[in-house]
Amino acid sequence: MTALTALIADDEEAPRAQLRTSLARAWPELEVVAECVNGVDAWDAFLEHEPAVCFLDIRMPGLSGIEVARRIDGRVPVVFVTAHGDHALAAFDAGAVDYVLKPVDPERLGQAVARARGRVSQGGAATAQPAAVAELLTRLAAEIGQPARRPATLEVIQAGVGKEVRLIRVDEVIYFESDARYTRVVHEGGEALIRTPLKELLAQLDPQRFWQVHRSVIVNHRHISAAVRVDEGNMHLTLRERPEKLPVSRHFQGMFKGQ
Amino acid sequence: MTRPERIDWSQLWYPGPKHVFTEAELARAGQDRPSRTLVAVLLANIAIIGSALLQVAPPELTARLTALLVGLTAAGLSQGLALWKRPTRRGLLWRGSGLLLAFWLLYAGMSWRIDDPLQRRWALSVCGAGLFLLNIGLWFVVSFRAHQIESRLRELDEHDRALAMAHQLAAAQIQPHFLFNSLAAVQHWVQVKDDRAAPMLDALTGFLRATLPLFDQRLLRLGDEAEAVQRYLAVMRLRLGDRLREQMQIDPAAAQALIPPGLLLTLVENAIEHGVQPSLGGAELRVNARVDGGRMTLEVSDTGPGLAVGVTGGVGLANSRTRLKQAFGESASLTLQGGTVGGCVARVDIPLTQQQPT
Repeated sequence: MTALTALIADDEEAPRAQLRTSLARAWPELEVVAECVNGVDAWDAFLEHEPAVCFLDIRMPGLSGIEVARRIDGRVPVVFVTAHGDHALAAFDAGAVDYVLKPVDPERLGQAVARARGRVSQGGAATAQPAAVAELLTRLAAEIGQPARRPATLEVIQAGVGKEVRLIRVDEVIYFESDARYTRVVHEGGEALIRTPLKELLAQLDPQRFWQVHRSVIVNHRHISAAVRVDEGNMHLTLRERPEKLPVSRHFQGMFKGQ
Repeated sequence: MTRPERIDWSQLWYPGPKHVFTEAELARAGQDRPSRTLVAVLLANIAIIGSALLQVAPPELTARLTALLVGLTAAGLSQGLALWKRPTRRGLLWRGSGLLLAFWLLYAGMSWRIDDPLQRRWALSVCGAGLFLLNIGLWFVVSFRAHQIESRLRELDEHDRALAMAHQLAAAQIQPHFLFNSLAAVQHWVQVKDDRAAPMLDALTGFLRATLPLFDQRLLRLGDEAEAVQRYLAVMRLRLGDRLREQMQIDPAAAQALIPPGLLLTLVENAIEHGVQPSLGGAELRVNARVDGGRMTLEVSDTGPGLAVGVTGGVGLANSRTRLKQAFGESASLTLQGGTVGGCVARVDIPLTQQQPT
């Protein structure tokens, strides 16, 4: 049985703290394992802690709550906590994705908690219909508005190597791997270390081309040669041009299932 | 704009409107029936022409002519009604071709067992003229109806736009999510007895007091709006903490310039919402206003994420542009420009006017 853990994410301090205290009252046995201040951290913390339920603000820096929910992809119940009383939200009532309006009304939070609790005890959101939820998320993103301005997808990475700064074309990157406080960039011409954390890079990469396969690995899919299942829970990727094997964590193994 | 009009030769062999209305368009603007006046006048005209025709035609043909007229009128009405519901040139073409076929049948019927060449000539001309007029009539129905639906759709679109604009103007005054997010902060700070509760309520009250009356005016001094914006920034500072770093510099001369109400507030809200809040480490907001050569330039810039290619602003900016145009015509402008390494500048350029605020 999964421990009753939760992740909460809101870029403003007051609503985050308020949600924590309201949750302590509405769902005492729930343990908040991660409090995040942006979407990038929220996604990273989701992979790290694998919480049983996530409470996400919609408008957040890095990745929006909608984008994080898309990545969570119905694996655990998501409750949006938002000040946007948009009618597109109403569609989420009682699905794998629920919502609570800010300022939080304890009664409404209680309902959302009861539903999320029900889903958690059924074993995550196994009964969700991911396709329908994905469609609703797309609609919600259109209604509430994806940020009109967002960082352009990254074209070139600047990596300091000794005294020079090398410019690495993102196209030529084979994979990124987080390495203590750095990110290792393995590209067609060699390797480099950069300071941008992997989780922040993720928000600036084209998700069609760069696949996150592990909390600490993002790989350019053109360089993957095979996904090898080692045993029930383990899988790794082999690459076309390089000998090393990349781990695929449980969350991402569904991406490789053969056709 | 002054391109010479091209002759559409296809109208010669395939006459009628080129545009085919979609089901949705027809449902929106094409559900009415032809007016009773139109139908009555048409029938009266046919009756007059018909009876005149019967006066001069050979009496042997009276019965057949009457039948022909009634038949043609009935056919014309039913086909005209179908085209009225769906005015397409394809429909017109099919009916025109059908009428051409019908001509030979009708002529055969009219001249059956008639040997007198004069009477046969009569039959031929009446059939020909009748069908010709019927074709012209159907063509007229299609053209008239297509124009009517087109202009009605245009009217409805304009009406919708005006409604949306009015709605946006009302909504632009205070963003509900700003209000609710601020109230959420107040709620929490009151519950946990945080010292920030009181200043937050003060700032929020100050903002509402300063902002609500702004929109009653047609134009107001930039300096007055800047006061309201300061209140807004006070609220945001409390909410965002050190993620918001701002700097406002408005020259005294620029503070006297008249602007449409809400202009500066919209630009600042945009910069915070799309520049400061989405930045992982927060961002800087800068407001600058100066007067130069009889014009006032107002710049609101931020160091947040840049601008996606092709973005010229959302609803808020479109709204501001419309209001600038209403106030100053073509002599004012509002541009949005993304920086090369992120960041964004909204620049307003307006003429200084002598007009007093009302």
